Amino acid sequence: MQLFVQQVVLGLLIGGVYVAVAIGFSLVWGILNIVNLAHGALVIVGAYLTWLLFARARVDPFIALPIVAVVLFAFGYALQRALINRVIRAPLFFTLLLTFGVNLVIVNALLVIFKSDFRSVTPSYSGSGFGVAGVQVPYIRLAALGVAGLVAAAVGWLLNRTRTGAAIQAVGADRDAARLVGIDLRHVYALTFAVAAACAGVAGGLISTIQAITPTAGEPYTLQAFVVVVLGGLGRVGATVVGGLVFGLVETLGQTMVPGLGAGWANAIAFAILVLVLIVRPQGLMGRIA
Amino acid sequence: MTALLSIHSVTKRFGGVAALNQVSFDVGEGEILGVIGPNGAGKTTLLNCVSGVYRPDAGSITFDGHSIAGEPPHRIARLGVGRTFQVVKPFASMTVRENAAVGALFGASHLPLARAFVAADEVLELVGMAGKASLPVASLTIPDRKRLEVARALATRPRLLLLDEVMAGLNPVEVDEALEMVRTVHRSGVTIVLIEHVMRVVVGVCRRVVVLHFGQTLAEGTPDGVLRDARVIEAYLGEKYARRLVGG
Amino acid sequence: MSASLPPSSSETIVVEGLRVLDRRRLRRLLLLAFALAAVLVLLAPLTATDQADSLGVPQLVDRSQIRILTTVAMFVVMASAWNLVGGLTGYSSFGNVAFFGLGAYTCAVAVDAHRLHLPMAVAIALAPLVPAAFAALVGLPLLRLRGHYFAIATLGTAVAVGEVVKNIDYLGGATGLFPPILHRADLLFLYLMVGAALLAVLVSRLILRSRFGYGLIAIRENEEAAGVIGVNTTAYKVGAFAVAAALTGLAGGVFALWNSFINQELGFSLDFNIQMILMAVLGGAGTLFGPVLGAVALELLIQNLAGRSDVAVYAQIGLGLLLAVTVIFLPRGIVAFFGGGSRLSLTHLRRSLRETSV
Repeated sequence: MQLFVQQVVLGLLIGGVYVAVAIGFSLVWGILNIVNLAHGALVIVGAYLTWLLFARARVDPFIALPIVAVVLFAFGYALQRALINRVIRAPLFFTLLLTFGVNLVIVNALLVIFKSDFRSVTPSYSGSGFGVAGVQVPYIRLAALGVAGLVAAAVGWLLNRTRTGAAIQAVGADRDAARLVGIDLRHVYALTFAVAAACAGVAGGLISTIQAITPTAGEPYTLQAFVVVVLGGLGRVGATVVGGLVFGLVETLGQTMVPGLGAGWANAIAFAILVLVLIVRPQGLMGRIA
Repeated sequence: MTALLSIHSVTKRFGGVAALNQVSFDVGEGEILGVIGPNGAGKTTLLNCVSGVYRPDAGSITFDGHSIAGEPPHRIARLGVGRTFQVVKPFASMTVRENAAVGALFGASHLPLARAFVAADEVLELVGMAGKASLPVASLTIPDRKRLEVARALATRPRLLLLDEVMAGLNPVEVDEALEMVRTVHRSGVTIVLIEHVMRVVVGVCRRVVVLHFGQTLAEGTPDGVLRDARVIEAYLGEKYARRLVGG
Repeated sequence: MSASLPPSSSETIVVEGLRVLDRRRLRRLLLLAFALAAVLVLLAPLTATDQADSLGVPQLVDRSQIRILTTVAMFVVMASAWNLVGGLTGYSSFGNVAFFGLGAYTCAVAVDAHRLHLPMAVAIALAPLVPAAFAALVGLPLLRLRGHYFAIATLGTAVAVGEVVKNIDYLGGATGLFPPILHRADLLFLYLMVGAALLAVLVSRLILRSRFGYGLIAIRENEEAAGVIGVNTTAYKVGAFAVAAALTGLAGGVFALWNSFINQELGFSLDFNIQMILMAVLGGAGTLFGPVLGAVALELLIQNLAGRSDVAVYAQIGLGLLLAVTVIFLPRGIVAFFGGGSRLSLTHLRRSLRETSV
C-alpha cells in the first residue's frame, strides 16, 4: 500500500512537469492554430542549456531556469517571426511539415554539438528528500512541481491580466478582427510562440534534473503534449493541468505494475486511447466544439 | 395531388434550443414554394434536414415515396434532391465547366464522364453561363458564382431543387436576372423550394408560401394572403408596427 | 516566331533574361525530354547483364547506381500513393509508412521458410492486400477526423502499429525478419520496383481522369458540397486510402525481399514517412507528375548527400531545411512552374509568399 502511495506521489510530481510541457503546446495550438511538432525539441534545448550552465558554469539548475526562459523566449520569437509566420495562412499541414523540419534541424544540430551521450544535471541535493508518513518526497521533484505551478500561474496571469494577454486572446479568437482594431499580428504571433517556447525551455530545465537527457529525448514529449491537450480540450488551462497530472500518474503506475513496459508502449497505448476518444468525441474529453 | 416532398412534424434541437419544432408542410410536384421568415426562424436548418446535412430529432420527411430523414446526403441527392448553399461552396480549383460536370457525374444523373461534360454545357446554357465555361472559379463575380451553384445542383438532374437565399447580395438588376433564371429552371420541370428574404421575388414567382418563425410554421398560403397576415407582420416587424399597419 | 500576335501573358513563360517561350510547347518538350531520359536510364542497367557482356556492350551502370535507381522507384510509388490521399483528397496522412511496414512484413512472413513459405511471386501479390484491408478498417473511423487531428491520428497509428509489430515474435520481434538473400538479383528488384512505380503512376492517371478522381477532388475542395451533389464521401475517402495503402504496401513488400531484412525501425521509419510527404509536396501535391518529380529530385539529392558524408545528422539537417524552404517558397511544388498562370520569377515567389504569410 505504501508503495502505491509512493508511486502516486511520484506520478503527480512528474505530472506537474508534464503540465509545464503541455501548457506551451496548448497555447500555440489554441491561439495560432499550429500543432508544433518541434515542441519537444524546444524542451530538450532548454534541458541542454540548463545542463550547459550547470556543467560548465556551476549554475544551480533552478537558478538557471530564468536564463533558459529568456534565451528560449528570444529563440521562439525569432523562429515564429522569421519562419512560421510565413505559412500561417497556408493549408494546415504545411505548418506541420514546417515544424517537423524545424524539429529535424534542432535535434540533429544538438546531436552534432552534444553527441548522443546521456547527460544529467545532478546538483548536490539531488537524491535527497524528506519523508512524510513513510512516503519519500524528493526535493527536486517537489521543486519541479512548484516551478511548473508557477509557470502555469504566470501564463494564466499574462493571458488574463495584461494588455498583451488580451491582445493574444483577441488574435486567437478572430485574427482578422484583431488586425482591424490595430493589433500587430506578426508581433503577437511571435510573442505567443516565444512565451510557449519559454515554457517549454523551463520544462526542459526541470526535466534535466529528473532524467538523463539526449537530443532525441524530446520526441515523446511532443506526442504526449498532443495527447494531454486533445484529451483535455483545447484552450482550457484547468483541463490541461488535470491531463498532465493524470498522464504522469498513469505512466508511473503503469511502469511499476508492468515492469517490461517500455516508454514506447506507454505512448502507443496513449495514442490508441486518443484515437478512440477523438472518434467518439472529436472535441476531446472535456472540450467544446469550436 | 400527392406531394413530392412531405415534411411531417420535423423537430431539430441544438443543445437546448429547438431550431425546428414540429414543422409540417407539403410540396406538390411542379410547384414553386416559398419559405420565408425572419432570421433565425430555422429556414436553413429545415433545408439541411431535407438534404441530409442534419438528421432530424423527430418527425419524418418523405420524398417521392422514400423516407429520407436521417439518410446521408449523397443518397438523398441520388434520389433527386438538389440544393444550393447560402454561402456558395464552389470547387475552387476547377473551372466552371468542371464544377457543373461534377454535378452531372454524381447525383440523380450519374452520367459517365464524357456525357457529364455535355450535360454540363447544357446546364450552363440554361443558367446563362455558357460563355464562361472555361473560366476558373476565382474570376467569377458573386452573381455568377450563384449561377454556378445553381448550375451544379441542376446538373444532378434533381426533381426537387432547394434554393437557399439565392438572391442574397444581388442588386435589383441582378435579382431580375436571377428571377428569370429561376423561372427557366422551373419551366424545365423542376419543383422548387425557395428560401428568400427578398419579398419581390417571393411574390413574383411563388404560388404558395410557408412562413417559419422560431422554428415553427406560422402561416401558409398565397404570398399576398400571408404577407397581410397580422401574425406574419408581427413576426417580421414587431408588435407595435403590426398594430399600426393593420390599423388598431 | 511567326508573324502573328505574340501569345497572351497567361500563355508565356518568362525566364528572366531568356527568350519568351510558348508554355504548351515548353511543357511538351520537357515531358518528351523527361520521358526520353527515363527510358535511357531504365534501359541502361541492362548493360550490366551477362548477355550484354557477351555482346560486347560496355557496362554503363554499376551496382550502387542500380541500387539508387531502385530506391528512387520505390519512392515514386510511395509519393504517388500519398498523393492520392493527401494531394487529391486533401486528407494529409502523416502515417502512410504504416502501410509500407505492413506490406514489408506481409511479404517477409510469406516467404519465410519457417512461416508461410510461399513462393516469391505469391508473397509480392499478397503485399498490397494486408495494408489495404488495414486501411479500410482504420480508415472508417480515422477519416472522420479533419486537419490536425487526422494528421496526428494517422501518425499515432503508424507509431502504434510499429510498436505492436516489434512485440510479436511471429513477426520477428525486435530483431526482425530475414527473407532469403537472392544472388545477382539487382536487376530483378530494380525492374520489379520500376514496375510498381509505373503501376502507381498509371493508377494515379486513371483516377485523375475518372469519376472517382473528380469525386476525390470535390471532397478536397468542399466536402459538404460534394456530399449534397451525390458523392459518397465516406466510401470515396476510404477507397482512396485503401488504394494508397495497397500501392505503398507493394513497395514495402518488394523492399523487404530486396533488402533481405526488415525490422520495425526500417518498416515503420519516420524518415521514410516524412520523405514521401515532402516528395509529393515538393513536386506538386494533387498533380500526376508532381510526386514523380519530387521523388526523383529528392531521392537523388539524398543519395548524393549520403555518399558525401557518413554523418547522417547533416543529411537530416539538410532535409529539415529543405522541408522549410519547400513549404515556405514552393507550396504548390515544382510542377506549378509549368502549370497554369505562373512565372519563374521573384515577383511570383514574393506574391505566393504574401498569400500564405500573416
